[in-house]
Amino acid sequence: MVYLDYSATTPVNEEVIETYAKVCREFIGNPNSLHTLGVKAKQLIDASTKQIAKILGVKETEIIYTSGASEANNTAVKGVCLQYASRGKHIITTELEHSSIIAPLSYLSHNGYEIDFVKLDENGLVDLEDLDRLIRKDTILVTIAAVNSEVGVRQDLKKIAEVVHKHPRVLFHSDVTQSIGKDKVDFSDLDLASLSCQKFYGMKGIGALIKKEKLMIEPLIHGGKSTTIFRSGTPATPLIASFAKALRLVYEDYDEKREKVQKLHDDLIESLKELDVTINSNNLCLPHIVNLSLHGIKSEVMLHALEEHEIYISTQTACSTGNYSKAVYAITHDKEKASNSIRISLSYLTTKEEIDFFLTTFKQCIEKLNFRRVS
Amino acid sequence: MKKVKIIKISAVWCGACLITDKAWKKLKENYDFESVELDYDMDEEEVAKLSAKTVLPDFIFFVDDQEVDRLVGEVSYEELESKLLEVRK
Repeated sequence: MVYLDYSATTPVNEEVIETYAKVCREFIGNPNSLHTLGVKAKQLIDASTKQIAKILGVKETEIIYTSGASEANNTAVKGVCLQYASRGKHIITTELEHSSIIAPLSYLSHNGYEIDFVKLDENGLVDLEDLDRLIRKDTILVTIAAVNSEVGVRQDLKKIAEVVHKHPRVLFHSDVTQSIGKDKVDFSDLDLASLSCQKFYGMKGIGALIKKEKLMIEPLIHGGKSTTIFRSGTPATPLIASFAKALRLVYEDYDEKREKVQKLHDDLIESLKELDVTINSNNLCLPHIVNLSLHGIKSEVMLHALEEHEIYISTQTACSTGNYSKAVYAITHDKEKASNSIRISLSYLTTKEEIDFFLTTFKQCIEKLNFRRVS
Repeated sequence: MKKVKIIKISAVWCGACLITDKAWKKLKENYDFESVELDYDMDEEEVAKLSAKTVLPDFIFFVDDQEVDRLVGEVSYEELESKLLEVRK
C-alpha cells in the first residue's frame, strides 16, 4: 500500500497508541473527582498541558481541549461573534477556508452577521491592501487558515496579523491544523488558533483551540468548568496525554523530517513536469502538499484507478462534497482545472520507493484513461 | 412580464454559496419574484427531484412552473440580475 493522503489524516504513531492504552488502564479517575484517583488523573492532564504549552510556545491557560479542529473552529468563530456582537457583526475570511469555518460563517450569515471575502493574489496569498480596506468599525473577526489543505498555500500570518492588529478591536483567528508538525507556528501573532491531533500522528477525537489568556469567548458547549470554563465535558485524560506525546514526537528531528519531505516534493514535482498535468501548488506552498490538475480525466476516475494499485490520494478535502475543488478554483478561476484536481500529500514516513511506484503507476493510468477516452 | 420563480440550492459548508449570499439577498430586495431556498443536505428529496448539480450553489429559474435556465457555482449580482431580466421578458 502507498498512502499519499497524509493531509486528510495520519496513521497514529505506535508510541502514541501505547500512551493512550496505558493511560486508559492506569488513570481511570475523573480528573474532577476529589479522591486520589481523580487527583492522579488531574496531575497527568496538568503535566501534559504543560508539555503541550512549552512545545507550542503558549501559556497553559491558553489551551482549550476540543474534539478536533472542527469543534475548535466552531468555538472560535461562534464564540467570538456571540461574545462581541455588541461591537459589530462583520467578519472577514478567504475562499480557501475549510468547511468547518465556512459552515459556522453560513450560520452566522443567516443570523444577521455580514461576511466578506478578502481578495487573493495569483499565488493564493491574501491581498493585504484589500484586507486593510475591508476592515471596518464593526469588524470583529478575521479568520484565515495558515495553510490551505487542498493546495498547500501557506499564508504569511505575521503580515496578516500586522494588518489586523492595526485595529485593536479586531481579533485574528487562524486554523493552523495543516501546519502543526510540518511548519513552526508563532502563536504570538494570533488571538485564536485551531488544531487537531489526527493530522500529526495523534489520536482522532482530540484537538485544541489556543486562545489568548485575557480574551473572552462564549462557549459552544455549556456545562460547567472542565479543564477550562470555555469547553465543558469530562476531560479526556488518555486523549490529552496522547496529544502531548504525539506533539513531542512530531517535532523530534523536525529539521531532518522537513528536509526529507522537501527532497521528496522536489523530485516529485520534477517528474510530474514531464507528464500531461498542470501543477497547481507552487513554491510558496507547504512541500507536504502537491495539488495538480489532470487534462481530460476526472479526478475521481483517477483516484479509483490508483486505488486499484493500492495507491491512496485525494480529490479534494475529505470534509466536502461537490465535484470541484474550491481552493483550486479560488486560485486558478478555472472550473476545468478545479474539477480535475488531485492532491498528493507527503509525510516524513513517505519513501522514495513509494514515490517512484506512484509515478510509474500514475503515468500508466494517464495513458490508459486517455486511451479509453479517445477510442 | 412573466411570473418567475427561482429555486436556490445551497449548503452550509459551501464557500461559493456563502460568497453568493450577498448577491442573492440583494436580488430578492430589488426584484419581485418567488424564491425557494433548499439545503443540499437537509432537503435531499426535493434536491434529487430537481436533478441538482453537485457544483453549488445551483440557481434554477422557472417561468410558469417550467424550468427555463440555471446558473451554477459562484455568480455575481450582475449575472443573477441579467438572467432574471432575460427569463421574465
